[in-house]
Amino acid sequence: MDTIQQVLADVRRGMIPAHIYNDAEIFELEKERLFSRAWMFVGHESEIPQPGDYVVRRVLEDSFIISRDEQGTIRALFNMCLHRGMQVCRAEMGNASHFRCPYHGWSYRNDGRIIGLPFHKEAYGGEEGFARKGATLLPAPNLANYNGLLFVNMDPDAMPLDEYLGDFKFYLDYYTKQSASGIELRGPQRWRIKANWKIGVENFAGDMYHTPQTHTSVVEIGLFREPKAEKRKDGMTYWAGRGGGTTYKLPPGDLEERLAYIGYPPEMIERMKQLWSTDQLQLIGEDAFMISAASLFPNMSFVHNWPKVEEEGDEVVPFISLRMWQPVSENETEVMSWFAVDAEAPEEFKELSYKAYLMCFGSTGMFEQDDVENWVSLTNTAKGSMARRLLLNSRMGMLNDGTPVVPALTREEFSGAGSAYVGYSEHNQRNFLQEWADHLEKPPVVAPSHAVGITNGQLDQYSSKGA
Amino acid sequence: MAQLRPHANSSPLARHAPTTMRTGEALSFSDELHLEAHRWLVNESYLLDAQDYGTWLESIAHDVHYFMPVRVTTALGAGYSTSPGMAHWDENRYSLERRVARFQTEHAWTEDPPSRLRHFITNVRTFRTDVENEIAVDSAVLLFRSRGDVNEPSLISAGRDDLLRKVDGRWMLARRHILVDESVLRTQNLAIFL
Ligand code: FES
Ligand SMILES: [Fe+2]
Repeated sequence: MDTIQQVLADVRRGMIPAHIYNDAEIFELEKERLFSRAWMFVGHESEIPQPGDYVVRRVLEDSFIISRDEQGTIRALFNMCLHRGMQVCRAEMGNASHFRCPYHGWSYRNDGRIIGLPFHKEAYGGEEGFARKGATLLPAPNLANYNGLLFVNMDPDAMPLDEYLGDFKFYLDYYTKQSASGIELRGPQRWRIKANWKIGVENFAGDMYHTPQTHTSVVEIGLFREPKAEKRKDGMTYWAGRGGGTTYKLPPGDLEERLAYIGYPPEMIERMKQLWSTDQLQLIGEDAFMISAASLFPNMSFVHNWPKVEEEGDEVVPFISLRMWQPVSENETEVMSWFAVDAEAPEEFKELSYKAYLMCFGSTGMFEQDDVENWVSLTNTAKGSMARRLLLNSRMGMLNDGTPVVPALTREEFSGAGSAYVGYSEHNQRNFLQEWADHLEKPPVVAPSHAVGITNGQLDQYSSKGA
Repeated sequence: MAQLRPHANSSPLARHAPTTMRTGEALSFSDELHLEAHRWLVNESYLLDAQDYGTWLESIAHDVHYFMPVRVTTALGAGYSTSPGMAHWDENRYSLERRVARFQTEHAWTEDPPSRLRHFITNVRTFRTDVENEIAVDSAVLLFRSRGDVNEPSLISAGRDDLLRKVDGRWMLARRHILVDESVLRTQNLAIFL
């Protein structure tokens, strides 16, 4: 059997040991070294607009209450009672000034602080025995926000989110900042697929090659005109910071005409022009590329497509979707798929954009249905001993000596951040797996433990006398 | 009833949809209207099992609203159990037609080979409504779906609240609200109908 070093070495030369898509040991390593230190999306500000609003979200097996406290500050609180460890909040969403543990009745404010501890005096001898003051539900080691997107990081020494995202922010803005008000999120739809989490991430990051084949049917029924093979390969894939994505090549025209071509109304285009940088505007207006699918390491993806959703006329309407590929095991993933729309968009646009999302992506989406079928089959096939003997070739877009089949776009051809190549390739899938391999080589994260009800000074001398 | 219909008007895409309300108690199980409704649902389930969606569409009204909101776990007394503004299906006649048209292409890979489907329909009850030729029909559906030979089968359990309308002597589905019983679906996609 190959060692993990061999697996990583193969991955780094663009050869993928097929079993990495269904391997319990690899999944353990991913939990220990990758998910333990990557920034992971848990929700968006717009999901909890009012004080007291909360959603409960998992980061792998850890449940967090993402709440907005009475001061408006957003918190990520580990959803475990400080007493005997009961899950404090068992709803998925709601509004609460405080959370009461059903087991023995401890209660917590929506900022995490203990507010009620029954028989504190009688049972513990008051503050002396249990320091209630300063005790709070355990906050996530790190919580940070970009364009209202909330990310948690389990590593106390994590690099700042901003640095982590790096140049991928250039592209994130297209999805999440079309006006000063940003996006509003609806959902998520949640469902479980018997597929390894990495497959969807890689697909959204760069797989333009699958589109004409897998998604033939959506072109045939007149839902989306773009994926035809000859059109798809004119797009470019980019990799920037810790993410990458795919684009479509737009027809001739200027910035306004191109944004109108994919269905944006004039008032929205006007706001984009005011908000986006010159480079961000030029990528569309001059270079003629429009963002489509993308992935941010490790397990968040994005979609932006512009289908035709009404019977009458030829108009298309764009939609945006965000998603998490939440790993359940090496062969099962919970998909959480949100619909996102610019908060300042006209109501009619929001409705049609929602309709477009439902028809294309998510649990019922006509694109998505065929994608998942592929990934479930792939995961199944990756389980056995034969998959351990097979090194999949993931070198598309690269010659034997490592030079690219087509050169990277130059600054004149491409105003975007990062590096970009026109046509079919697996540059992005390789970039993703490089990052994956780098993480699997890191040592496990060391995190301090937090003792409840005991002040730090006391902890060292703590003992139970006469127990 | 309150349990089954908390979301009835919560979709922004339902403006075209019929607003007919049920009236009175459930009809007797020997009532002719109930027998007709039950027969319609059972016949429909055979069409859905066979994925005979072309025939199925023939009994879907032009103004249909086919709606399955996303369920969420909320505290008792929260007053809602569906995700605000988000559904799995929020369909009109055109989008249902597109879905059916897709299955009729030769490239809807997700159902090639097809799933083996069995829609179990039960707990049927029928109500008169405030519109002469329309009846409201509640039912429970359990869908067993099996794909391939090594995959685990999946189950979807849901309640349905339908509006049937008699047009030229035939019952047509004018509205279907589906209240699915899981917040996280355990099936790879909804390339089926309930
Ligand atoms: S476990 Fe929560 S109060 Fe005891
Ligand atoms: Fe796809």
